[in-house]
Amino acid sequence: MVATVEQQILLRSEMENFLFQEAELLNDGRFHDWLELCAEDIRYIIPVRMSRERANGDGNSTTMTHWDDDYAGLQLRVLRLDTEYAWAEDPPSRIRHHVSNVRVQPGTGTDEYDVRSNLLVFRNRGDSPQHDLISAERHDVIRRSEMGLRLASRRVVEVVPVFVEFEVAVPHLMPARW
Amino acid sequence: MSIVGDKNDIQQLIAAGQESLAKGRLPAGLVANAEVHKLEAQRVFGTCWQFLAHETEVPEAGDYVVRYLGGGSIIVVRGEDGEVRAMANSCRHRGTQLCRTEMGNTSHFRCPYHGWTYRNTGTLAGVPAQKEVYGVEMDKNEWSLTQVPRLENYGGLIFGCLDEKAAPLVDYLGDMAWYLDLITKKTQGGLEVRGEPQRWIIDSNWKLGADNFVGDAYHTLMTHRSAVELGLAPPDPKFASQPAHISLSNGHGLGVLGVPPGQPMPPFMNYPREVVDGLAEAYGDQDHADMLQGTAFIHGTIFPNLSFLNVLIGKDNKSMPVPMLTFRLWRPLSHDAMEVWSWFLVEKDADEEFKQQSYETYVRTFGISGVFEQDDAETWRSITAGTQGLLAGSQMLNFEMGMGVLTSDDTWKGPGRPLSSGYAERNQREFWGRLLELLTDTGDDASETGPQLRAQPLTGADEVA
Repeated sequence: MVATVEQQILLRSEMENFLFQEAELLNDGRFHDWLELCAEDIRYIIPVRMSRERANGDGNSTTMTHWDDDYAGLQLRVLRLDTEYAWAEDPPSRIRHHVSNVRVQPGTGTDEYDVRSNLLVFRNRGDSPQHDLISAERHDVIRRSEMGLRLASRRVVEVVPVFVEFEVAVPHLMPARW
Repeated sequence: MSIVGDKNDIQQLIAAGQESLAKGRLPAGLVANAEVHKLEAQRVFGTCWQFLAHETEVPEAGDYVVRYLGGGSIIVVRGEDGEVRAMANSCRHRGTQLCRTEMGNTSHFRCPYHGWTYRNTGTLAGVPAQKEVYGVEMDKNEWSLTQVPRLENYGGLIFGCLDEKAAPLVDYLGDMAWYLDLITKKTQGGLEVRGEPQRWIIDSNWKLGADNFVGDAYHTLMTHRSAVELGLAPPDPKFASQPAHISLSNGHGLGVLGVPPGQPMPPFMNYPREVVDGLAEAYGDQDHADMLQGTAFIHGTIFPNLSFLNVLIGKDNKSMPVPMLTFRLWRPLSHDAMEVWSWFLVEKDADEEFKQQSYETYVRTFGISGVFEQDDAETWRSITAGTQGLLAGSQMLNFEMGMGVLTSDDTWKGPGRPLSSGYAERNQREFWGRLLELLTDTGDDASETGPQLRAQPLTGADEVA
């Protein structure tokens, strides 16, 4: 059954709200709350991106990642920030996630949606005037559960081959450097 | 901001550094110094052997990767004849880059500017309109891609050197070769690189990474304290202080740290049974196998800028610890920035399940987003910034650890000069000492004879008699 235009708009709005809420939690440093939005079978991946000729594809690696976490891995990062010793993010970065271009398709599982969105992350830290501006695209599976929408998987693509500035570029595509 | 002015100032600072290192002190102004950076470009990176690629990154004929040497782009390619070569990524006509991507496979390199075409061995195969405008007499042999003058392979690791007269790689490595065997020859099939290297830039001087990996087990407790609190590393403050810290030649050094007595760690770094059973045969001797049995982790640096870490570690606080191996190249960009290249390697012959676990462990602990790696970078950035300025730049830094206190480990079964504690700084002193030796005007003149191999420690005896 093809969704009506109204249904499509509502669905997209619902997914946007989820992503905007997610971004707010990250920007506000509410990482435990953010973790609640993750399904327990989540896989969160940022493939390494290489510079390749057009004929050889988009350059997203299939064999190496910058980030490859399951729920336990993400949870570890949240717990790490709770210790007083996460030097890399203490003092914390000032981060703003700008989420846009949200596109929703039906997913393969029941109650799942394939959601693509663009991300622009602004980041600044310490008393340096310099900032990172990272652009990426997320390919998410968002799942409708009894407790609400949950992030079931995320693949972050269209990043750059060499990350610049501090070592943090990567982790800004989702939680702050953990 | 550099605290030194003209050329004489920097040579004075270098001389002061050589003198003070003998007493275990280093002038902070040398750490992230723009003048030092300029000197290093020729005197260190123009003369020493440096890592380019692992042979498994270019497995088939025509495979190439683009790397860096001496500040320029280099093609590392396996030719149609099966030989691996390295050459300047630069057309002999006008200097155009032939490879404008990081990796690929090709039988010929063709320049996009005028179409000059080279075989993947580097020889010039074709020049458009040659007969008409260059003449049949054009000797194409004169116009091959410029080869890296020295290229040698040890244990699958391909090194290049821009100094034609450099000693063979195996002599340059000295006893480091024995320890490279420990890491790379656990199985008959040897290692393979899995995936592509991660690359990232940190606003830190390159030497801080090399210094950390050459001898710093001392930092594990504090820098990685968050990991300790999460149960990823033992809470024992002396966990990483088991013998031995081993000093080698030419500025190389490593730590092969033992399992503390009473610590419930699996032997042989928890490598799979099939690997452990075949160790002595793969190594070709029992000594390497015996050493691996009691080892917790191995960290080291091959001067100047290749480091490695082979460690048994858990990817999270719920999983069994799994061994993983990473190699690091600290590429200097400026006095206060470096590009880090990080490779993950694993035994070719191991089963897929082990490889997957080892890969996950690597990415989560010591890759670019690793929960351990992040905090290391934070301290190195902080040192780069913290040694700037007139005041901090003028201070002496304490590199005295172990001097007059630690003794040689006479039970150590491997080569080199081992100290009886993993908490030591002799490797760091010798790393910086070797660096200063290469930089000094009055020392080895690289343009004439090439830097002399250094077998004896530079920084004076620091063992208890």
